[in-house]
Amino acid sequence: MLKLYYWPGTCSIAIHILLEEIGVAYERQTVDLGQKQQYSAEFLAINPKGKVPALVRGDGSLLTEVPAIAMWLAATAPSFHLVPDDIEGRTRVMEIMSYIAGTVHIQGAARAWRPALFSTHREEQEAVVARGREIVLQGLDILSDALDGKEYLAGEYSIADPFLFFIEYWAAEKVGYPLPANIDAHYNGMRKRPAVRRALAAEGLA
Amino acid sequence: MTTLMYAKGTCAMGIQVLLEEAGVAYELKKADFSKGEQHTPEFRAVNPKGKVPALVRDDGSVLTEYGAIAMWLAMTNPDKKLVPTDPEALARVIEALDFAVGTLHMLSWRMFRRPDAYSDSDDEQAKLKVRGKEAVEKGLAIANEQLAGKDWICGDYSIADSALYYVEFWVSEVAKWPLPANVQAHYERMKQRPAVQVSRKEEGAA
Repeated sequence: MLKLYYWPGTCSIAIHILLEEIGVAYERQTVDLGQKQQYSAEFLAINPKGKVPALVRGDGSLLTEVPAIAMWLAATAPSFHLVPDDIEGRTRVMEIMSYIAGTVHIQGAARAWRPALFSTHREEQEAVVARGREIVLQGLDILSDALDGKEYLAGEYSIADPFLFFIEYWAAEKVGYPLPANIDAHYNGMRKRPAVRRALAAEGLA
Repeated sequence: MTTLMYAKGTCAMGIQVLLEEAGVAYELKKADFSKGEQHTPEFRAVNPKGKVPALVRDDGSVLTEYGAIAMWLAMTNPDKKLVPTDPEALARVIEALDFAVGTLHMLSWRMFRRPDAYSDSDDEQAKLKVRGKEAVEKGLAIANEQLAGKDWICGDYSIADSALYYVEFWVSEVAKWPLPANVQAHYERMKQRPAVQVSRKEEGAA
């Protein structure tokens, strides 16, 4: 039985959505980031990186990093075509996953959401948040261009869409950033997907 | 002709290693980051993200993001076996690569190397350098565990080794910190590879 370690509204929601999309049986377990539970001895024993999402598989082995977990889940359920079959399509999906993971999330959203991680000076934290916002908005512009009027980033629905959804959800619902038109359309489309609805409901998110 | 947008001392060195490993004909187009050349209209016309690496392919299309470029080179040169085809093994390679690029590099090294990107105050920057160093060391400890009993981070040589390599380069050659034992052995092994030797010559490293 797969077990997802997650915290509501974080990037773990991308994996949560994918689990719901493929309809595989899984358990879920919260790791309370607000209480710093990710640094507890108990959780570090499960994931030494102290991060969510973490996916423990049926054989007890752990998989981490959103792009890796997403690719693996897609491979376990090939009939859902969650990753394109062609090299170019797969490459472009990886490009988006890497961009969201390494830049929009780690450099943008992290600054805007947890400025204290980057400066302990109150007066500076506003500037850290502003820079984070700048990076996220630039990211949304670039991803909007990548959507280019398509319903989904790779044309067909793929692992890239739930990952973008995580950023969209956080930007729209948590911090109230304006979404470019393509992004807004993608966000609203995603919210209609049953798997997304189930994941949001499971996480207690509206 | 394949062109790698490159800047000395950056993670683009890992992509040069992979180009060499793949045996692809390429040229380097070097930007001087100390002069802010990544922010010029000419550079942004090629890569709006203003970053290296970016790969301009034969057909003129541009590929960004380390992981995507690495995957593309691997997938288009399957005889070089730079990624496994088995989904589990592939997930592990993406996991290791993402950890190196996202966590070791973008979150941790960057905090140490570019504290000015987060704060203008001297004492805050000093704190960031300490936290960055700690984060790099913690990450390398995880890589060290993973390398136990192995030559390469995922068993067989893969694109993930190129990403760990450039972090090792920075830690050894730039910061001059010691690497944990297995990581040091990995670094030495990388240095033996002809592809890495080409990169090191480009970087002016022994």
